[in-house]
Amino acid sequence: MSDLSKIPIHTEKHAPEEARTNPLAGVFDELVRFAQSRSMYMLHYCTGCGAIELPPAMTSRFDMERLGIQPMVTPRQADILLVTGYVSVKTLKRIILTYEQMPSPKYVIGICSCTVNGGMYWQSYATAKKLSEYLPVDLYIAGCMPRPEAVIEGMRALMANIQSGETEPWKDYYQRYDYYLGNQQHLFGDNWQTPTDVIGQAQHYGLAGPETEGEHTRILQQYQQPLVAHKLRLK
Amino acid sequence: MTERELDTHLVTILRELESLEYRQTSPRRVRIDVTREALPGLLELLKGRASYVHLSAISCVDWIEDNEFELVYHLWSYESNHLVSAHTRIPRETARYISVYDLYKPAAFFERDIFEMFGVYFEGSPHMEKFILTEWDGPPPMRKDFDAEAYVQETFNWQSYHPDWLKELEEEGGGVAIRPEEVRR
Amino acid sequence: MRPENYQAQSHPPSNEYELFIGPNHPGIEGNYAFKLKLHGDVVLAGKADGGYLHRGFEKLMEGRLWIQNIALVPRICVPDPVPMEVTYSMAVEDLCGLEVPERAQWLRVLQLELSRIAAHLFTFGGHAATTGMYTTSYWGIADRDLILDLFEALTGGRVYHIFNIPGGTRRDVPPGFLEQVSQTLDYLESRLPDYDNLLFTNQVFITRAKDVGAMTQEQALEWGVTGPNLRATGLAFDVRRDDPYLVYEQLEFDVPTEAAGDAWARAMVRRAELKQSFRILRQVIERLPSIGGPVRAPIPNPLAWNVPAGETYARVESSKGELAYYAVSNGGDKPYRVHVRGPSSMHAVQVLEWLAEGARLEDVAQIMFSLDACPPEVDR
Ligand code: SF4
Repeated sequence: MSDLSKIPIHTEKHAPEEARTNPLAGVFDELVRFAQSRSMYMLHYCTGCGAIELPPAMTSRFDMERLGIQPMVTPRQADILLVTGYVSVKTLKRIILTYEQMPSPKYVIGICSCTVNGGMYWQSYATAKKLSEYLPVDLYIAGCMPRPEAVIEGMRALMANIQSGETEPWKDYYQRYDYYLGNQQHLFGDNWQTPTDVIGQAQHYGLAGPETEGEHTRILQQYQQPLVAHKLRLK
Repeated sequence: MTERELDTHLVTILRELESLEYRQTSPRRVRIDVTREALPGLLELLKGRASYVHLSAISCVDWIEDNEFELVYHLWSYESNHLVSAHTRIPRETARYISVYDLYKPAAFFERDIFEMFGVYFEGSPHMEKFILTEWDGPPPMRKDFDAEAYVQETFNWQSYHPDWLKELEEEGGGVAIRPEEVRR
Repeated sequence: MRPENYQAQSHPPSNEYELFIGPNHPGIEGNYAFKLKLHGDVVLAGKADGGYLHRGFEKLMEGRLWIQNIALVPRICVPDPVPMEVTYSMAVEDLCGLEVPERAQWLRVLQLELSRIAAHLFTFGGHAATTGMYTTSYWGIADRDLILDLFEALTGGRVYHIFNIPGGTRRDVPPGFLEQVSQTLDYLESRLPDYDNLLFTNQVFITRAKDVGAMTQEQALEWGVTGPNLRATGLAFDVRRDDPYLVYEQLEFDVPTEAAGDAWARAMVRRAELKQSFRILRQVIERLPSIGGPVRAPIPNPLAWNVPAGETYARVESSKGELAYYAVSNGGDKPYRVHVRGPSSMHAVQVLEWLAEGARLEDVAQIMFSLDACPPEVDR
């Protein structure tokens, strides 16, 4: 067995191509991406009617598990957030809370036409129309509702994307946080805040860009209060 | 079907009361129109003396031209198998009425629903608070004077999707005839 | 040794705490939340929190044509969409005084019962999963897919069919469809002993479900409980039999009941209803070929269809309970008001709150699934 300590550890992030002199580093990245794409834990948030096609996709008939995709019950351990259907404003708040709790790298799939553009509820005062205004969405699976085959096909497309390292929209949430926050504030009011410190995380990961902070994050800081427990009203 | 086949209890009760009209609309449906003062008394009689124990629903209709809300209480009797719909109207400005929760437990849900959607306050109802629309601070949305489409146009954006192949199609005279902007005026 | 800054507690330590379940929780059916106040693992009080699925259906329907709403209504109850279409169509037909051709009525019964079977299989799966028996949910959902295949053959859609329109149905059955239904029924019937072994005679399930979420018949009537949940308390009431619609008067079926009123009784009633649905479907398969005629009454141009002014209350027995539509027309081409009374608007809110009181924490999810609560019906 070779001495593991002799393998150089590649720590530099976003190193320019020429700097990658060690061929093993690229191999390692690829290996990580391969492993990532083959062990996906998805959090399926049943936001709408599209959720009804997920049980068939997960159980005996279509059996997603053979592709290495498994449901996960908590956001803290999940990789993919499935938004299955129309998103009412009340749910959207919870989706954002859930999304911010998930560890990076994280991916969002919008299932159903309703997440793309409001679908048949375009007239509705209660549903948000464009999911990608509030969260970075990796891919949409259109259809009303998409069949289990389509859901699985979408998952495979995501896997291929992860493996090739092409799309990383989750970084976008850190880099353009101001944009997303602005849209959220437009819908929920200026005093909208979440328990997660996104700006702090962005700086920690070295992902903060020029658009991470802006006018909307200033509004956030202005309203930010220490979090207090939700008051429960029981009879 | 004639009135003779209507539940006799029901007919006696309805005859006793004044200020109400009733009409059998189909074999198992009866429509009663009653003033708003007399409705709670009527429901009490229907439940106590004529076995109308099941409150199927309370519906509210906004008659904006008459400046009134119509409340409809749908009652079902498991014994005589008739559905009675008691209609009453309340003025739109005050938008207050009396709860029937002490008679019918299911009323609490429907009254809360009407409170949220139409802004009608029911005195004595146990949950006069928001349930569905907790994150909503506009006017009661089911009122006719709330224009949902205008609100949507103001608040939300749409994804535009106009790929090249569609443009080519449109040049040839195909594609979508009415553009969304024109429909959603 | 007490620290210097010690202060005696003014109130004794309490074991009471509050717990949120949902909206994103595997033990909750759909997108719905529940706030509980607990002492140890006994629920002191519960409060439902809905509205996550609210789309403002009733408002949307006021803005669309009568015929357009057919595409909207199945979305109100996702696991059991056919009764929604049929009830709405019945309401419109009642307003217009349209006679539905007999063949269309039989076709509607065919779809309604298929949908009921699918919904019940789904519920068994969910109910079993809350007691830790996932095999039933895997099998139940896979078997439900056979019914969805039938729907696909008939209507082109797996879950939403948009097949019933005011006046009848859109098409007739494709050739060979009835044999396909018959084969599927044979298969599903042959599966029932398997389900019995897995679930209904399984001691684990019986121990978990007996005496959980029990209500008496008086309570059920007072709380406005309907459907299988009411029948599980011993009252043999079924809208199909006692307020008949379509051609249910010509069909033979029993109204199964159970006396206990607990989660187990509710599951058993559903199991018995599955058999009755098989029985009804077999009668439909037998009778349908002998009934000729069109499948749709002539209707006016649907895009300029002014429904006469009036109001109606149409109701049917869905797989969850009593489903009703209150439709008002002012003579225009759009509904003036449509009110949907979903059965779960009682079961998922007040009844669940009352039944959760005094239950154990681990049984809350089971009570919800055994009531077959369907949140989109509550929120609309
Ligand atoms: S796209 Fe269709 S199936 Fe999906 S959430 Fe919207 S209405 Fe429901």
